Amino acid sequence: MIDVDVPKRDLTGPFLSRLAGFWRPLRNLGATQSCVNETRSLLTAAEFQEELAILGLSGQRFEPEDYSDALGEYLGISIAVHVIPDSWYPELSRLLAISGRLGELRYSEQLNLAAIFVPGSLPPLVLTLTILHELGHLAAGDLLIEFDEQSAEDDKHAEETTFATIPLKKGKKLARGSPFADESLREREANLRASYALFAGCLGDDSPHAYDMYDVL
Amino acid sequence: MSAAQHQALVLGSVSFVAFVFFLCFLIPSRRTKFSVFAACNLLFVALMFGAVALVDLSGGRAEIIVAVMTELPVVLIVAWVCLALAGGLPAQLGTLPAEPVARRPWLRAILGSAPLVLLLSVGLATAVGLAWPSPALRVYAPAPPQFFVLKALIMAPEGLYSGVAAVVFVVAGRTRGIKRRLYFKNLAFSVGMGCIALIAFESTLFAGLRVWLSGGDRRAILEVLNTVEACLAISCILAFTAGLSLRYTPAVATTLLHRLQIGWLSAQEQFESLEWQAVSSGAADRLTHASDAVVEACRIRGLSEPDTQKALATIRLVAVMRDPSGETQHITPDAARRLYELQQEILCDDVLASRISWAAGWRSRAHEPQTVKSAPLHDALKAALDLVDNDGESEGVRTPPHWYYIVAVGAADAKMIDPAHVSMQLRDGSEYRAAIEAYDAAKRALQMLDDRD
Repeated sequence: MIDVDVPKRDLTGPFLSRLAGFWRPLRNLGATQSCVNETRSLLTAAEFQEELAILGLSGQRFEPEDYSDALGEYLGISIAVHVIPDSWYPELSRLLAISGRLGELRYSEQLNLAAIFVPGSLPPLVLTLTILHELGHLAAGDLLIEFDEQSAEDDKHAEETTFATIPLKKGKKLARGSPFADESLREREANLRASYALFAGCLGDDSPHAYDMYDVL
Repeated sequence: MSAAQHQALVLGSVSFVAFVFFLCFLIPSRRTKFSVFAACNLLFVALMFGAVALVDLSGGRAEIIVAVMTELPVVLIVAWVCLALAGGLPAQLGTLPAEPVARRPWLRAILGSAPLVLLLSVGLATAVGLAWPSPALRVYAPAPPQFFVLKALIMAPEGLYSGVAAVVFVVAGRTRGIKRRLYFKNLAFSVGMGCIALIAFESTLFAGLRVWLSGGDRRAILEVLNTVEACLAISCILAFTAGLSLRYTPAVATTLLHRLQIGWLSAQEQFESLEWQAVSSGAADRLTHASDAVVEACRIRGLSEPDTQKALATIRLVAVMRDPSGETQHITPDAARRLYELQQEILCDDVLASRISWAAGWRSRAHEPQTVKSAPLHDALKAALDLVDNDGESEGVRTPPHWYYIVAVGAADAKMIDPAHVSMQLRDGSEYRAAIEAYDAAKRALQMLDDRD
């Protein structure tokens, strides 16, 4: 686990503050640096490509299994995906469908284990996207948010382009930015990650975003 | 003309020729922000060296200022390249780092620090030069140790950052599976940055020799080094020109990809997930019997598994379009038609049609991955629209597959569509009668099973 706490501020005098001002742009170049207590926009395809590069998957064709394995290795956790056949638990599909969900993600910090449960009756594309969606929550660090940190506000952000985030006290994540305070935004971003992952995995080095990483000038 | 003026004339001419080439050939054919920036720098260098060649600027602090100004464009180029590799350029100039840098945060921090460190070193070198003036432009004149300090302050960081950038370009170019053209492009930039690193090393050595070397061979050694520097400068410009000239266009454009993400993928996912929810939660109640009978009829007719899946997907679509619930209110004929058109757009593009696929199951290599064409939804959308569309806009299915007849019979039997419309559309052919028989047999078989339970 990597501690993502910001440095203690009480030691920072006027001189150190100015020095920190020079240092901040450099520090923010770190790939896994959290942008804590800030607002940010939703994940872009280019930002997702950076995440893929960190996982060693940029420019390669990959399956969701490869993404899951690479993400688990990076986060230092074991990720288990359970596709439950309807014949085993006939009620699972019905209960999930009634609740409007397609899958379930459980995470145990003590066991370093994440488990994704999806019904086997889902159409293949939906199954793939649902698994990638749940993996997206892990990449974003959404499960590292402690309950009391969650924002109670329920603002609608139709006109905004940047949104409030929540600083994380501990835990490792792949995303550069902190998770959004608003749950609906976290879901939207997990959807975006899933669609980016599907296309990036299909296109490999034919993806324009992957190409950009080999043609920086 | 002094030796310094001669040297300036050579370097100025090379820079000017390179600037003209950039302006006339490179920028019109492939205009990148970097190529424009490089062209501006070349012009600036050409003007500076031209001034040195034409006017004798030797002596005093002016000599230091001119010497630093001639170094500045190279420093700026190195800073730009390092920042581009680190993904630190402003958004409008490009934001993605090079692939090897994205994987190594420490490397990103080092490259990102280049502009600050390089400009600080230039500032410091200028201060040293102004405090202790030295013959910076008189190429072969003996120089005090302060001159070596001035040169080393600029050249050491410049050489270090250029060297790191050269290595990064090599690593990027050697990535497994990278396109050949991108490999050569990165290799060319690596050679260019390597040349700058070598020039920095050579310049520092040159300054040291001017300070500490004496004797008869001094002049000859310095002349050889000067020639080496000119050759390296020409190689550097040629390498960058080659790198910038090499073009590669990805098979899929960013705008098309974005359109597919927000258009096709979200629509297809919404269709399939809402349909699954409606079926799994029991919202589409009358569908259950019809779909069971359709699957059984397909089995009786000996249809393949993919055809059975298409029949099942079609009857589900017809059911939710005809009987929309709260969840499936977005699955309308209009939405289905839009999705079908998006799918057709993908299928018209050879790269997209062959590349976009998804696994048929988790960690399941037994089944072929599904594509837009092979997934049941594509044919199901067309078939469902043909069955549901009563407005006469539908072209109809010219030569319907066997499964289509079974779905039509099942949908008419379940009162999802008008039976008269079906019989008119299918014109009571032999396939239609066979489908009716199979469907009736399937219903009887299911009824017997129900009775037994």
